[in-house]
Amino acid sequence: MNTQFKKGILEMCILSLIDKNDLYGFEVIEKLSSEIEVNENTVYPILRRLTHQGLFTTYTEETNMGAPRKYYKMTALGKEKLKSYEKEWRSFLNGVFKLLGGDLT
Amino acid sequence: MKQDYLKVLKEKLYEFQASKQDIDDILSDYEQLYDDAYQKYQDHDKVKEILGNPKDVAHELIDTLHIKKERNIKTKIVAIMPFISVIIFMGLGFGLDLWNPGWLVFLLIPMTAILFSTRLKEGIIAITPFVSVIVYLILGFGFDAWHPGWLVFLSIPMISILLSAKAKDIPVSISVFVSVIVFTLIGTYYNLWNPTWLVFLSTPMIGVLYKENKLHVLIYELSFIIAIGVYLFMGYNYGLWQWGILGFILPVIVGLLFGDVHFMWSYPPKGRKRMEWMIMVSTVFIALTTFLALGYLINGWAYAWQVFLLIPVVAILLGKPKHLTPIMPFISVVLFFSLGYFFSLFHISWMAFLLIPMVAIMENA
Repeated sequence: MNTQFKKGILEMCILSLIDKNDLYGFEVIEKLSSEIEVNENTVYPILRRLTHQGLFTTYTEETNMGAPRKYYKMTALGKEKLKSYEKEWRSFLNGVFKLLGGDLT
Repeated sequence: MKQDYLKVLKEKLYEFQASKQDIDDILSDYEQLYDDAYQKYQDHDKVKEILGNPKDVAHELIDTLHIKKERNIKTKIVAIMPFISVIIFMGLGFGLDLWNPGWLVFLLIPMTAILFSTRLKEGIIAITPFVSVIVYLILGFGFDAWHPGWLVFLSIPMISILLSAKAKDIPVSISVFVSVIVFTLIGTYYNLWNPTWLVFLSTPMIGVLYKENKLHVLIYELSFIIAIGVYLFMGYNYGLWQWGILGFILPVIVGLLFGDVHFMWSYPPKGRKRMEWMIMVSTVFIALTTFLALGYLINGWAYAWQVFLLIPVVAILLGKPKHLTPIMPFISVVLFFSLGYFFSLFHISWMAFLLIPMVAIMENA
């Protein structure tokens, strides 16, 4: 699959994951790779990029082992972005399935 | 393993001229990721697979980095250096008729490129060949001191050892070079080649100091001192140097008794490091023998020093570099000097140094 295209989908999945719960880096990787095949070395760069774009904020929380953990939390801008991504993606998929002659399930 | 992973990542980010804050930020995040992943899988290879190759990671991160500002200024300086050099060269040539040593200004081109585009430590190591060439030519053309003047080239391996070897390895390695320098200078100027060669014993004497067993250290050092004493005594009192040399059987016997007459080979760490160490020791040994052989047998002192360039080159190659750039300074020095010395082409051969920025640019592009 086209990498740019795939990266866009990954961004959306990550946005959606963090929209549900605040997560730390490794959790994001774990949750993503349990569902879809991802090129792991792109996950952290996406987190970092989206944080730079203001879609996430970060905060740290003490852990009982080692250094404090950095959590990613959705911002209002992030929620907006996710909505527009989802809309775009659903209509795109709808179109694809129409063409293929099936439906979304 | 974790440190290796983070180190590769850090180096790559550094190469991309990321700001210190970005690097610290990313490294602390990756340290966390690594710890989390390791806690779950308890397997460094698996962790590496999950986090991805650090080099690819760094590439993915490029567009999130704040590139250092000074880079622009540095790039500009590097870019205009050729023009500045030509102007200075023309000025020296037409104005003062100093065409001959004047071409040295062209060395500024690779020197600025190296200083501004590598890290301080690597920069200093890479720049020593140039400084050495300049000092050597000044000593040669200016004072006709070509002969002991070549000793400045020993600064190349010495500086690279000082800056990159482990603290523990430094005294032993450096003692070899210091011995060569002392031996050559005293030999040349006072013609005292004979007892002066004893300085080479400083290398095993220093090496022995690192042995665990302090009693062994003491016995070793004593055996060396006695051997030297016997040698000097027989030589000066009876003129029987060749008999005095038998005294050195003593430290050899001590070595055999302690089962480590090969201590040069056995003191370093095990495994791959040990292999590297053995290659390094052999290289130093081969370089020294070749140098002394060329020097004594065909009076090739003036060019034989180049074999010492093998030492840093081998050291760099053992680090398995992906690029030719780090060894180009050494190749250039050999080209420059050999063409100049054997074919009297010094006025043209300096162009060999232009190979360095050329290769660097090609490999980075």
